[in-house]
Amino acid sequence: MTFVGRFLNLSRKQWPWMAAGVILGVLVIAANSLLMAISGWFIASMAVAGQSGTAFNYFFPSAAIRFLAIARTVGRYGERLVTHSATFRILAELRVWLFKRLEPLAPAGLERHAGGDVAGRLRADVDALETLYLKILAPLAVGTVSIAAALLFLLWFSPPSALVMLLFLSLAGAGLPILIRRFSEEPGRKSAALAAALRNKVTEGAQGIEELILLGAVDRQAAVVDGLSELLVAEQKRLGRINGLATGGMALLAGCGGAFVLLIGSMQVHSQQLTGPHLVMLLLFCAAIFEAAGQLPAALHLMPAAQESARRIFKLADTPLPVPATPLVHQQPHHNGICFRNVSAAYLQGIPVLRDVSFDLPQGGSLVLTGPSGTGKSLLLELLLRFRDYAGSITVGGIELRDLSRETVLAMIAAVPQRPHLFNGTFRDNLLLGNPAADDEQLRAALEDSALDLWVAGLPQGLDTLIGSNASAVSGGEARRIALARALLKQAPILLLDEPTEGLDAATERDVVSRLIQRKKRSSGGLTMLVVSHRPACLKLADAVIPL
Amino acid sequence: MTEQSGGTAQQGSGAERGLLAEARNIRGLLLVVVLLSIGIGLIVVFQARLLATACDRVVMHVEGLAAVLPLAALLVLLATGRGFCSYLLEHTSAAAAARVKQSIRSRLYRKIQALGPAGLVGDETAPLIETVTKGVDELEHYFTRFLPQLCLAAILPLLFLIIIVPSEWRSGLVLLFSAPCIPLFMILIGRGSEKLHRRQWSRLSRMAGHLLDLVQGLPDLIIFGAAKREAEAVARVSEEYRSATMSVLRVAFLSAFALEFFATVGTALVAVIIGFRLLWGILSLQEGLFILLMAPEFYLPLRNLGLSYHSRMQGVAAAERIMPLLARPLPQGFAGNLVPPATPPAVRFEGVSFRYGGNRGGVSNVNLELPAGSITALAGVSGAGKTTLARLLVGMIRPEAGRILINGQDLTLLDPDAWRSRLAWVPQAPYFTAGTVRENLLLGRPDASEQEIHNALEAAAAEQIVRQLPHGLETLLGDRGAGLSGGELKRLALARSYIRKATLIVLDEPTAGLDPENERLVCLALRRLARDKTVLVISHREQTIAATERVAEMIDGRIERVLSTAEFLAAGEAFR
Repeated sequence: MTFVGRFLNLSRKQWPWMAAGVILGVLVIAANSLLMAISGWFIASMAVAGQSGTAFNYFFPSAAIRFLAIARTVGRYGERLVTHSATFRILAELRVWLFKRLEPLAPAGLERHAGGDVAGRLRADVDALETLYLKILAPLAVGTVSIAAALLFLLWFSPPSALVMLLFLSLAGAGLPILIRRFSEEPGRKSAALAAALRNKVTEGAQGIEELILLGAVDRQAAVVDGLSELLVAEQKRLGRINGLATGGMALLAGCGGAFVLLIGSMQVHSQQLTGPHLVMLLLFCAAIFEAAGQLPAALHLMPAAQESARRIFKLADTPLPVPATPLVHQQPHHNGICFRNVSAAYLQGIPVLRDVSFDLPQGGSLVLTGPSGTGKSLLLELLLRFRDYAGSITVGGIELRDLSRETVLAMIAAVPQRPHLFNGTFRDNLLLGNPAADDEQLRAALEDSALDLWVAGLPQGLDTLIGSNASAVSGGEARRIALARALLKQAPILLLDEPTEGLDAATERDVVSRLIQRKKRSSGGLTMLVVSHRPACLKLADAVIPL
Repeated sequence: MTEQSGGTAQQGSGAERGLLAEARNIRGLLLVVVLLSIGIGLIVVFQARLLATACDRVVMHVEGLAAVLPLAALLVLLATGRGFCSYLLEHTSAAAAARVKQSIRSRLYRKIQALGPAGLVGDETAPLIETVTKGVDELEHYFTRFLPQLCLAAILPLLFLIIIVPSEWRSGLVLLFSAPCIPLFMILIGRGSEKLHRRQWSRLSRMAGHLLDLVQGLPDLIIFGAAKREAEAVARVSEEYRSATMSVLRVAFLSAFALEFFATVGTALVAVIIGFRLLWGILSLQEGLFILLMAPEFYLPLRNLGLSYHSRMQGVAAAERIMPLLARPLPQGFAGNLVPPATPPAVRFEGVSFRYGGNRGGVSNVNLELPAGSITALAGVSGAGKTTLARLLVGMIRPEAGRILINGQDLTLLDPDAWRSRLAWVPQAPYFTAGTVRENLLLGRPDASEQEIHNALEAAAAEQIVRQLPHGLETLLGDRGAGLSGGELKRLALARSYIRKATLIVLDEPTAGLDPENERLVCLALRRLARDKTVLVISHREQTIAATERVAEMIDGRIERVLSTAEFLAAGEAFR
């Protein structure tokens, strides 16, 4: 149950909305049960009055019936609006909270979670948490409060009926739900896990469709998807059957409860402890109040799946930080020189990739790292971006990297990572990520230096052309150059480039390299460059070359 | 996206026709659901009758326990029957839902794969995934809630009315005249909310795409210090979603409001009419109470239909994405049935053109010959159309004009599956599933032997990579092969294509990202592999080109010239 506490804590800003929803829910149930109760009493009293010929003041009950009828309809509408509004407010808050928690984890902390799945979790599980208030917490609260109030009402008129109803309502409101919960725990957990697995496989099938087709693996993939879907649907079917137990059990208990109240009531009427009309009132009241208990099994039925979603969300959010939190002391480097001393680092713990690397890159210098793939060139750049931790010493501007806040470091650095991601939007959106305040002149210069200017000019909508999801509308070389332009636009004093000319033909590559050299000259010693490449053309960028 | 948000009624009714066609497959189960519901309705009538009789005896005739006991026993019996029927009902519903969902999802996923890239031009990945997973689940309640409720709303109130009218026709009239108001108002209000609901679906999938995009691009956001800004964007998108959904719900709940209003007023009116007729002694309490108990039951099927109307909108909205996909014709030119040659094929491009739309590149009027067993390099600046040509050759897309001949036979006449089984292709960014290295290597041929895997790794100079992994071949690769460098992934993809026994090999920049030493190894392997195969290598790297026999140079979507490798390299030398 701790996840409920954590959920409540996260959504504490929305407590007023959540409480208002519960209060309205209780009022609606009260209005409905009283409406039925007073109608029954009214009818029975009228019948008795008709038989005995006595007068009966029917103004009060008919006014009450009118009022309760309106209270019920309006209250129900209000309750729905308020609980849904609360739900979406909670949802938005959870999404932002989770995104902020994921940010310091990326990329190293998220690697073990499949990329499609991280987003799938973020969306589907946060969505599933939607059920926690709307379909679980609110009905539980409303049901419990209403049942307690109803028992007090019964106690006033007929203590023995209250006792009987206590038994049946607690069977319906607690016994049955607990039974249902025990039954649905396993299928609920399984169906959430299977839904995630299915989403993963479908994502793979959709993203890797070309290669799956050409490798002749489509049918096998489809069979896997079918298998997962079948398992998922079977679990959902089991949950549906358990739901049947809940509704069936509820109908049984409600009917039996009514029969017992009838028996007790008729004895009380016989011994004149209760009037006839009051018995009719209590019978109709008891039938109506089961509506309140009826919400409980459904709510607890959904609990395991929500718990599973919550567990995964909190687990993801609690992934330990791949890089220790930033220090409290605020330091600012005085120059852009970079110095590595006996640096070791690894992608996975225990399998060092970089061992004892040392070099100096003075301010305004440029260094090209070469070497076979797998020697940790890209890892070295990731260390500077504070994506991963290191052993040994790295200083930027004379200050140990560890002692600098991530913000300070990243403010000094522009980078083209090994696999740049372009966002689903226009070219302009993607470029402006580097520098939202860039003017047209800066944009033009960055495009020119990345040899993109002619290409963009040829696009029908120029910079406002859409890139598509996963940069589907551009080639690999184009994507890399857009990433380069984006990095140049940032105009940071340190530039990290991971294979900046990959996928370019020789002529374009020469062009890009010479423009980078010019840009560096223009900066008159202010620009420090660290380049990973094994393309001979890129060596021209270097003051020094370090083979790794 | 704009087309959907427009939400034409025609599209909706087409989707609904599709849903009804699907319902035909589970009509037996649906019939059982409806019959069970009618059974429950009849039990309710008996329960009300028994309770009214008992009250009459106790209140009007002041009879004791003895008179009530048999009635109470019968009530318990009826309650048991009702509970059992309710269970059977849910059980049958669940079975029907399971069958229909499984069937649709399986066909949908296979259809998407059958359409392939050529049939999915313009479709984004995230909404497709959304449709196959969550979209199919959202159909469930259309079948299990809406359709049965629709039948019941027509049957049960009529049944109840027939039972009520003989004992109290005035109350019957009230019910009869208030009832039609309910569907009327529901339709009036439902129309408006349906349009809104449809817009809601596209908003949801856009939000899904947005979040996926941001999470995948988190490292880039961090590099540019934009993560904080984007957190605000997440808040903004969620807030937009909330306010849009709430405006839908405000209207959608209004129809429920109208429904409850009429049902409640109707019940209250019936109570008052009965009350006065009882006061005047015209009606017995037994009849009066029975009718009062039946009044809410009379409205219940209509209320349930109103509640399930949401299921209908949800189902139709999902069907609007599913049905057109299921009905979409397969792309032209993939229905050939000729058996492709078993030996290395000779390939001939004859006036082949393909444009990506607009002036976004492609190839035009390409004439090129790849002799059987030859190894040809395809060189040219980026954007010249090299990858497009490769995609045409492997049959991912079909030429808009011209044809590709395989041993003199038009490629479109060959059986696509058989053709694919003869070729291996390594694209620029090879795809890896989130499984073990072994699973990824065996993707193309699950029955390959240990020796074959070993040979392939050796050929692709990838042995070293696997040896360094913590669990060797059983190491789990994360998403997009996380943990391995780009060059390493390339070599694993090469090994994967080696395992596949192909006669035609197409490699897109196989040595990009490799250092000179590895490039040399891969080129050596390439030569070994090329024996007895037709090979096309896209590359503009000298060392890789040197491993080929001939070079075709592309400029602006055309084949500029075809030279022997020696001539090409010599010309390059002179150019430099």
